[in-house]
Amino acid sequence: MNKTKVLTPQERIGKKPDKLFLFRSCTGSIGYPGTESAVREVLIKLGIDVITDPDQTCCSGAVAGYSGYPPEASLAVTARNFAMVEKKYDADTYCFCNGCFVHISHYMHDLQTDPDKMANANAIINQWGYDYKARNNFYHVQELYYLLLDEIRALVVRPLNGLRVGCHYGCAYLLKKYGIVDDHELPTFHEQIITALGGVPVFYKERRSCCGSGAGRGFTHKESVVHPHLVRKLDSAKEEGVQLMTTVCPGCNMALDAEQPVLAAQGYGPYDIPVIDLAQLIGLAIGVDPKILGFTANTVSLQGVLEQVGLGKGA
Amino acid sequence: MSREYDRDWDPDLYKKIDKYNSVKNLEQCLQCGKCTGNCPVAAITPSYNPRAIINDILAGSTARILDSDEIWRCMKCGTCYRGCPVDISFTSLILELRFAALESGHGQKYVVPANKFVFRSMEYGINFVPGKRGMERVMKLRSDMGVEPFPKVTPEAIEQFKAIFEQTQTLRYMEKLKTDTEKPLRLSYAEGRIVNE
Repeated sequence: MNKTKVLTPQERIGKKPDKLFLFRSCTGSIGYPGTESAVREVLIKLGIDVITDPDQTCCSGAVAGYSGYPPEASLAVTARNFAMVEKKYDADTYCFCNGCFVHISHYMHDLQTDPDKMANANAIINQWGYDYKARNNFYHVQELYYLLLDEIRALVVRPLNGLRVGCHYGCAYLLKKYGIVDDHELPTFHEQIITALGGVPVFYKERRSCCGSGAGRGFTHKESVVHPHLVRKLDSAKEEGVQLMTTVCPGCNMALDAEQPVLAAQGYGPYDIPVIDLAQLIGLAIGVDPKILGFTANTVSLQGVLEQVGLGKGA
Repeated sequence: MSREYDRDWDPDLYKKIDKYNSVKNLEQCLQCGKCTGNCPVAAITPSYNPRAIINDILAGSTARILDSDEIWRCMKCGTCYRGCPVDISFTSLILELRFAALESGHGQKYVVPANKFVFRSMEYGINFVPGKRGMERVMKLRSDMGVEPFPKVTPEAIEQFKAIFEQTQTLRYMEKLKTDTEKPLRLSYAEGRIVNE
């Protein structure tokens, strides 16, 4: 019970890394590919060497979440991915998906605290010449944005002109509860980032509530549970005049963005609140080409938002 | 519904349920109900009650948990854990309960349709790979952005990913789930009431 709950980003990460391994996510690279390239562009603008590797596979967290198989396979997949990073690059790993973050942190913790699990996982991956020693650390990129908040503020060339932005933290990062960069019950560090970009953070009522996706929406838990919940969340955002919602999890992004037409067909809304990743918004503000940010993947158009930051056409 | 007798109850149930040792401290539960008060699912479906589920497990009631569809409502947002004063990971408990339910032949209908994603991820090394039409859309989106048309995973990595699932018997386990006959769930609830007793 005496574990530290909130760490400053300096305590959590230390100093700014020169290089990092970027852990690609499935939805963030396929369904909303703008997320991956936005994160990459933002990190490059911040002067950090970004490494990705096609030898990295799925974190296997989502599949474990909805298929009901026991955890051994996922432990070995985690060990393989991180043994590969250790062997080739010896760099800390950053992911940009809350789902990857919570599953990998969970499995890493299990591997590091349970010698049996570690031995089993290593016994499988040894045949390919890998040996996981847990030498490097694992973070979410949002922690890095918070660490480099002053640098981001200095880079802003396209201020958001008072755009009303509602933040969605996603459950899975705050779910770590201990040793994260903000209070898990009342986090405000996204709002600080939004303010630094020239936007107006909106504290809507259901700000902290879940997107309803989890892993396995529609399968392990039914839409009949998810939709009323989403309606509640989006209603409260609409009430407060949210013009744009940001996420730090491609899964949440999909759930909040792609479900809006479905809800509209059921007679709710219409909401028309575009949902993008925090990295895409930072990228937009620090002058990354909107084409690279990939807003075309979004279901709800960002035209209004782009006009407000002075990008009328194109994008 | 068959009657539940106290001779059917198992005082060590909470240890057996926690087969993969991921909850660890279930018997510390204070029954304060913060998990239920915070739960977004309980707010919509009153019959879903995390506090009551823990209470039943600690009391050792085996009948009413594994073959009801209550354990298949959780969205795994973890709000229960975030509010819990003794840090019981209820989301881990839900996963353990689902493993146990599948083992006793209940609830395949919730996971077998989703398993197609797992089998598909064996071919690509990543998850959520779309079908033909979706693939064209993704490739166009990515090409327009000036990145490679599809996120690349090396054939060796895909092979190793699949080998891990084979060697841990996971694929066999999922094939077996497909062919097992499912015992129907005895109780189902809607809006807090039992509807098919």
